[in-house]
Amino acid sequence: MTAKHLRIRKTAGRAILYTFLILFALLQLFPLVWLFNYSLSTSGELFGPELLKLPRSFQWINYAKAWTDGRIPMYVMNSMIIVSISVVCSTLFAFFIGYACTRMVWKLRLVVFNIVMLGMIIPIHTTLLPNFVWFKVFGLLNTRVGLTIPYIAFTLSFNTLMFSGMLKGLPRSVEESAWIEGAGLGTLLFEVVAPMVTPAFATVSIMTFLTNWNEFIMANTFLASENLRTIPFSVIRFEGEYASQYAVQFACMALAALPAIVLYFVFNKWIIAGVTAGAVKG
Amino acid sequence: MRSLFSNKMAIFLLIFPGLVVMLFSIAAPVILSVYYSLTQWAGFGELTLIGFQNYHNILLADKTFWLSLFNALVLMVITIFIQNPIAFVLAAILTKVRKHSRFFRTVYFVPAIISVVVITKLWVNIFNPTYGLLNKVLKGLGLEMLTTAWLSNPHTALFAVIFIMIWYGFGWALLFYYSGLMMVPKDLEEAGIIDGASPLQLYTRVIIPYILPVIQAVLIIDVVSCLKQMEIVYLSTAGAPGDRTQFIANYLYIKAFAYSQYGYGNAIGVLFVIVAVLLTILTRRITWQSPDVE
Repeated sequence: MTAKHLRIRKTAGRAILYTFLILFALLQLFPLVWLFNYSLSTSGELFGPELLKLPRSFQWINYAKAWTDGRIPMYVMNSMIIVSISVVCSTLFAFFIGYACTRMVWKLRLVVFNIVMLGMIIPIHTTLLPNFVWFKVFGLLNTRVGLTIPYIAFTLSFNTLMFSGMLKGLPRSVEESAWIEGAGLGTLLFEVVAPMVTPAFATVSIMTFLTNWNEFIMANTFLASENLRTIPFSVIRFEGEYASQYAVQFACMALAALPAIVLYFVFNKWIIAGVTAGAVKG
Repeated sequence: MRSLFSNKMAIFLLIFPGLVVMLFSIAAPVILSVYYSLTQWAGFGELTLIGFQNYHNILLADKTFWLSLFNALVLMVITIFIQNPIAFVLAAILTKVRKHSRFFRTVYFVPAIISVVVITKLWVNIFNPTYGLLNKVLKGLGLEMLTTAWLSNPHTALFAVIFIMIWYGFGWALLFYYSGLMMVPKDLEEAGIIDGASPLQLYTRVIIPYILPVIQAVLIIDVVSCLKQMEIVYLSTAGAPGDRTQFIANYLYIKAFAYSQYGYGNAIGVLFVIVAVLLTILTRRITWQSPDVE
């Protein structure tokens, strides 16, 4: 009898916990489902009373229109160029600094490391105004390079922290024996150390990609030319001349979000590792 | 052995590229900002040095500046007293229901990986008075009298904007707490149970004290990120109606680029940096006192 009661209590408790979990999962997901639903409807159907509605006929044409009216190929190309270069540079530079500050012996290593960490404290927004003038001096305003540089800079601190955290835990013996066998700095870094910290490379490059792929306010400030701008601007385009094409706008939003979502599901493990590291290291 | 690991040239080559990029696009602008904050300048044309006049005006006469800080404070209170507790409870549940934990964690974090532009525009549509999801839900529940133009009604705009921020940041809060809770050793929990602690006591007396450093770290991140809010405001209300939904980063941006008060905008920026640095130092102090953080 008591055993049965306990079991019932346990199942009831479980049901309550799951209700809570599902409720908040719906709160986080339903807006996205709504977006996707009406991205396949006609703009008119959005004005009906239903929360979700199976479209009378699936309007895949919305996606085709979003693709052209949202100038998605051009923006994707721009994003790819700027983001991939920033990912490669930020990852490498962070690896180098992380290595020099945790594995090499020199006087200023803590000073340099802390200067790099300071980058995490400075709000991006306070650099927007001075950089607008500063970049103009160097002719970097409205150029891809001018956006790539701050994209590298603002991801370096976190990335360096990730690498140094991982490097600290490595045994010295492998590097030492490699050095005795006559390895130079390049061989040592790329053939001996890098393979030991591949998880850090994975997390760092994916997080940097996502951050910069989604970045908006620096792109908005430093790039004035339509034909240099990045993927978030495809969505912004629907504020003006295409404002009444709600369904196409929704399709465009879905397309702009898609690469990040795919990356997220493919590299879930590394992304979660990166976020978690952020919490533990503060 | 020494030579390669303390080779000055090697060290220089390793730190040079990263350091140059950071000094160029983070350190230099902050220093420049201090200079421009002492000027009256439109961003072009004639520049006049006016000393601390901008700071004087901001601190003593700029209502919008203080309103922006107040809005950040409202956001902080809602984040810390509503969003964080919910995230903590959900994270605690997830450490118990092992089976679907990974699935739920993945789901909760989906919004967080989508671009702020898409998220904000999505919510602008949800809050739309004529076809928006929120008003439809309210009508469906028979609460038609509650429907409104959420983002332009002065009574609801701030809370609508804050809701977007809270919703967008939820996945982070949850994962932070989840990773903290996973650090609690199993035997510590078991010892608590053996000592006769109720489930609630287990949390208030054993688990929460143990992960206090993580909670403190998350609170610091919260406070700083509440201050840094910008894109959601910029893309939804731009601070309207009036300045009801103004936030500091958006304010300095429109001051410089929409009102051409470039020097004034920089002065707000400098104050902003000072506050961010002070908060971080304060936080470090707090976390340093706790022995458990590495």
